[in-house]
Amino acid sequence: MGPLGREAWAQRLGAFRASPSAFLAGAEGEDLGRDLLSDLRSEKLSEQTKVSLLTLSLEYSDKLWPDAPAAEAAATSLLDTLVLLPTRPSALRRLLLLAATTALVSGDALGPTSGASCRLLPLLLGLASGRDLGRSFGTPSEQRHLQATACECLGELERCKPGLLAGALGMLRSLPGQTGPIQPVSLLLALVLHDTLVVQSRSGAGLQGLLVAEDFSTGSCPWDWTLAEEWDAHLKPQGPSWPTAGEEERGFPVLEPSPEDARELKAAVAQLLDTSYLLTPVAQAQLLWLLGWALRGLRGQPPVLFKPQLVRLLGTAQLTLLHSVLSLKAAFGEALFTAQDEALLLRRLTLGAQHPALPSPTHLFYLHCILSFPENCPLGPEGEEAAPLLLGPQLCRGLMPSLLHDPTVLLARLHLLCLLCADDEEEEKDQTQGPQWFLQEVLAGLQQRAALDGGPRALATLCFQASYLVTNCLTRHSTVQTFLIRGLAQLYRARPSLAPHFVDLLDQVSPELREPLREVLLQEAVARPGESEALCWHLQMLAKVAEGATQSTTLSFLQAAAVHCTDWGLHQALLRVCRALLRTGGGDGLANLLQELARQLENADGRDHARLYYVLLSHLSSSKLGMALGPSLAAPALASSLMAENQGFSSALMVQETSAPIQLSVGPQQAKGPLPVLCLQVQALDAPVYSLELRFRVEGQLYEPLEAVHIPCLRPGQPAHPLYLLLQPRCPAPARLHVRALYSTSAGLTCHARLPPLSVNFADLFLPFPRLPKGSELRFFDELWNSCLPKGVESRVWCPLGQQGLEALVSQYLEPFVVLAQPPTTYLIAIRLPPASMLLLRLEKAQVDGVPVALRTDDWAVLPLVGDYLRGLAAH
Amino acid sequence: MALRAVWLIRHEPGTPLGGTVRFSRRYPTVEKRAKAFNGMTYVPVPEDGPFLRALLFQLRLLDDDKDFMERRDGCSRINKTSIYGLSVGGEELWPVIAFLRDSMIYASVPLVEQALSPRPPLISISGVSQGLELLLGIQDFLYSSQKNDTDLHTKLSQLPDLLLQACPLGTLLDANLQNSLNSINSVSVTQPQKQPAWKVGAYKGKAQISISITETVKCMQYGKQDIADTWQVAGTVACKCDLEGVMPAVTISLSLPTNGSPLQDIIVHPCVTSLDSAILTSSSIDTMDDSAFSGPYKFPFTPPLESFNLCHYTSQVPVPPILGSYHMKEEGVQLKVTVNFKLHESVRNNFEVCEAHIPFYNRGPITHLEYKASFGQLEVFREKSLLVWIIGQKFPKSMEISLSGTLTFGVKGHNKQPFDHICIGNTAYIKLNFRIADYTLTGCYADQHSVQVFASGKPKISAYRKLISSDYYIWNSKAPAPVTYASLLP
Repeated sequence: MGPLGREAWAQRLGAFRASPSAFLAGAEGEDLGRDLLSDLRSEKLSEQTKVSLLTLSLEYSDKLWPDAPAAEAAATSLLDTLVLLPTRPSALRRLLLLAATTALVSGDALGPTSGASCRLLPLLLGLASGRDLGRSFGTPSEQRHLQATACECLGELERCKPGLLAGALGMLRSLPGQTGPIQPVSLLLALVLHDTLVVQSRSGAGLQGLLVAEDFSTGSCPWDWTLAEEWDAHLKPQGPSWPTAGEEERGFPVLEPSPEDARELKAAVAQLLDTSYLLTPVAQAQLLWLLGWALRGLRGQPPVLFKPQLVRLLGTAQLTLLHSVLSLKAAFGEALFTAQDEALLLRRLTLGAQHPALPSPTHLFYLHCILSFPENCPLGPEGEEAAPLLLGPQLCRGLMPSLLHDPTVLLARLHLLCLLCADDEEEEKDQTQGPQWFLQEVLAGLQQRAALDGGPRALATLCFQASYLVTNCLTRHSTVQTFLIRGLAQLYRARPSLAPHFVDLLDQVSPELREPLREVLLQEAVARPGESEALCWHLQMLAKVAEGATQSTTLSFLQAAAVHCTDWGLHQALLRVCRALLRTGGGDGLANLLQELARQLENADGRDHARLYYVLLSHLSSSKLGMALGPSLAAPALASSLMAENQGFSSALMVQETSAPIQLSVGPQQAKGPLPVLCLQVQALDAPVYSLELRFRVEGQLYEPLEAVHIPCLRPGQPAHPLYLLLQPRCPAPARLHVRALYSTSAGLTCHARLPPLSVNFADLFLPFPRLPKGSELRFFDELWNSCLPKGVESRVWCPLGQQGLEALVSQYLEPFVVLAQPPTTYLIAIRLPPASMLLLRLEKAQVDGVPVALRTDDWAVLPLVGDYLRGLAAH
Repeated sequence: MALRAVWLIRHEPGTPLGGTVRFSRRYPTVEKRAKAFNGMTYVPVPEDGPFLRALLFQLRLLDDDKDFMERRDGCSRINKTSIYGLSVGGEELWPVIAFLRDSMIYASVPLVEQALSPRPPLISISGVSQGLELLLGIQDFLYSSQKNDTDLHTKLSQLPDLLLQACPLGTLLDANLQNSLNSINSVSVTQPQKQPAWKVGAYKGKAQISISITETVKCMQYGKQDIADTWQVAGTVACKCDLEGVMPAVTISLSLPTNGSPLQDIIVHPCVTSLDSAILTSSSIDTMDDSAFSGPYKFPFTPPLESFNLCHYTSQVPVPPILGSYHMKEEGVQLKVTVNFKLHESVRNNFEVCEAHIPFYNRGPITHLEYKASFGQLEVFREKSLLVWIIGQKFPKSMEISLSGTLTFGVKGHNKQPFDHICIGNTAYIKLNFRIADYTLTGCYADQHSVQVFASGKPKISAYRKLISSDYYIWNSKAPAPVTYASLLP
């Protein structure tokens, strides 16, 4: 594709900026980076268009060339473009340097193995040092201009790989005195100095003469990847971070430079500071942050070097400058700021927080700085906002809130006022003009404004935020709390539609305020029964504050309200209050109300709900009610109360799925009676189980459905509870029983568990024929034997004998069914197989390892089962 | 110390999005560092669309505050600075510096060189003051000497280039964008060394210095026994020095007449090279006595090229320039109003403008008015429920004027009459607007003969003075009024 025109590029860039991710995911996305690089060399495009392309690449290089190979290729292409530019001055040179730097850093391609890095670094250092790079790189005057840009690029490389330029320290140091703009060189020197000092102090090495100028053209390399790598391993906040007290004790490394190094260092820092007023204010501030942090870790470098700058800086009240002075204050404390200096700084800060010439964001930031002021002798806990000791009421006079302030300013100043009141250990008795009194004035004003009918929500929000702030700061000040509660009650009376704010406040405040506030709000809410627009808000409020203890007034309110609840929303609100009352203890009054509602409410959903609550109230103990209706842990933030309710039920009232609380095992069988009985044994495992109900399901419907079994109580450690399960087979076959347990825990929860399935074996179904009169056994057996055919089958099976003999085997397994025994030669065995089959066995003379068995049954289907059974006997 | 991104957003109430992004700039190399420093707590800078939505919601600038929303209206969601946490894509982007000025929202995200949880205190983040300074600088640039929307548009279109100068890689080099503009325009000029970074290029032409002192006076008058009236004067000294040479040195002295009120709370421009400790310490926090430093106030400095504010100060003058009283009472359906003004004899009785605005908030339109004014004319804005008393250029010889009248109001129309959340019931105020040329309340003046200039050529020096009122309120003495703490002190 040939180069795009100016218009086409403008369109394309516009589309990209609108949503980079969407553009890159689109059809053109892939080509953008490539086209951009190639079109930079197109002769058809104007310089202005190329500038816009480079600006875009500066902003989005991480999106255009996201990985290291792509970034490396892009940087290489940009550097090639730079070399190919014609000699005449061009705005592109500066941008190309910036773009190459950005691409290398943001694409993570910067490193010793990157060809582009190894081209860019010498170029930048050459430009920064003011050497003539020859005609191919613009005119000498333009090269001087690029000196600043080169310094900025080097600075960015150094910031991303701290320590990289440590070797160039000597060269950089010699620059400020020579040629070129002062600011870029000073900033770069300060940055490299800082990084080097921090790296060196970490590694324990000294400055090792790095500060002494060195001509790196003679062979020594001005950049150092190893130091930079060391940093990479644990990329820690570089210099401009806030030092906190006690850092040294916590092992902050301290460097002790050699006397020569110390002298050089002092000279370098002094030189930087002396010319610092030539820098823009923001750059001065950066210089001070960097140098302050760098010198902090040095022994024998007193911070007095900074002292001459302070008066000048304090005079300005300029945001970045005062902030950097604060960083020096935090870094050096008493070593740089005497008690008087500290007081002056605090006064200037207080001044800055209210000076009419400064904008409000600056005021607010200074106010924050006052409350986080790094004091020489801090008293309070670290990290918490507090009024500094030196900040008395006198100093704060101009920082008091007023209703005329905008919300942010008002809250910030109110916070300060609260802190002042909190410091007033002695609660003012009858002072009418102290801070506490004024606080109450402000609160009253805020409440009055929030009460304005139809006023914006922001006013209400402000009032509640202020209330929250005050209760948080002044938990123990009963006067203020009482005042606040009274005011809030009045506010509610005036504007019940603020109920959601009240509910939110009740959720957030400490219990000291919550309980009394809840009580007065309850009184306010029930004080105005009957039809009114505010009914829905009263109901919303009551759902939060109603409690069982004060039911009677609440109930009469609800009774009166029920008549006026005409729509679904109001019904729900009403029922929510009932629910709240149920939760905190029911009572007869509530039962009556619920019954009434169940009859009276217009919509079916409401009636059903009322009935449900009534049923719950009349059937559940109060503790269980509380649990069933309590806030659901599973879904604490559901917006709909109905959903929340369902959640509550499913977790508490309905049934909870648990693991098996009991063990169920099959005991020895007792073959008697008309039907087979499965003998089970039940034992509780870890906790007592109440009202246990065991439900059984027969797999494949081989038997008639089984009745559930109830056991009132099982406790762990008690002997196993026997359980007889009557089986009614539909056909004589073994089966699996699925068992489920439903029970209550001692906490009153109802739980459900699946137990491992039980197996009913073929032999478990065996029943004997009735006892026969002596002598008739053989005839009886023969009659049975003959009756089996022709409907049934006859078979012969080899029944292996184990160690035990035939006699033992018979007595162990078949004893109840033996009709006639003539040991050791013959056993005649007749077994009833419910519902209506039989199995006849003739055990003949035992041989060495088994016994031949002749068998007949009237149900051919059992034949394989019999075979398995007999063959398996010996294995038992 | 660096910025991750900067935005300029136009607030457009009533439109579907509520605003449009007019300018944005991101810094990928800084973002790279943010990722490393913030670690697990890193939240990427969002694209413009999601950022706009989140910011407008946080600043309460979407028109949907009908329902209570915990994330915005919750009582514990308190903002005490211009720094916010924005909820973007389920994560919280913090810190976001943002403020609204003249329907423009200025926003930026500074780099925090550590993990963000727990949140480090703002004071420990150097990028906060840098970011704020840049935003304030952009605001200054957009609105200084801007006359109309076309001007604004031109300046907005210059921003990308200016930021390439002032903040090419995310580290701020200069918050004064006018300076950056000069440096773009003077590419070919070679900078001599030792030239300050805040002064690009050099002036060529006739030497001249202009000094103008503007004082604004704020006032709260209550007309009550137990509440003290308060007033304060704030002054700004603006300079423009057209002088040749790299670093011309100038010293300007501000002087007071013998009965002048001392200047306090002085803050100076960063180009001021040294400052007397008496200037630094004179503060309105201390109670005034005769020993207060009363000048002359000397400011040695090296001027930048453009016009700049040499210093700001405040002062406590013994009496307010105009003493007023306002009585407003409801009698049946009528409102009875009495207003008196008295000009202090020491004040120069020669106004450029002097008028009193008498608004009636939270009421219907004015349906009937009878009045008697001892002086000046009264303009009635019935629909806006507003009276404007135009006093004119001079007070009469007696220095006292009065206005009395009765008003009745109609039914409050929907959104037609102004709503105010301070003026509830009979709480009401009069706001005085006046301007006096060639006068300062403190008496402060720049003595042309005492201006010292160390540069080639003797400059022409011109000096101007002006007093203007700002927030000059007279509250109805018959109803409660919002008090300030200072007015309650004995």
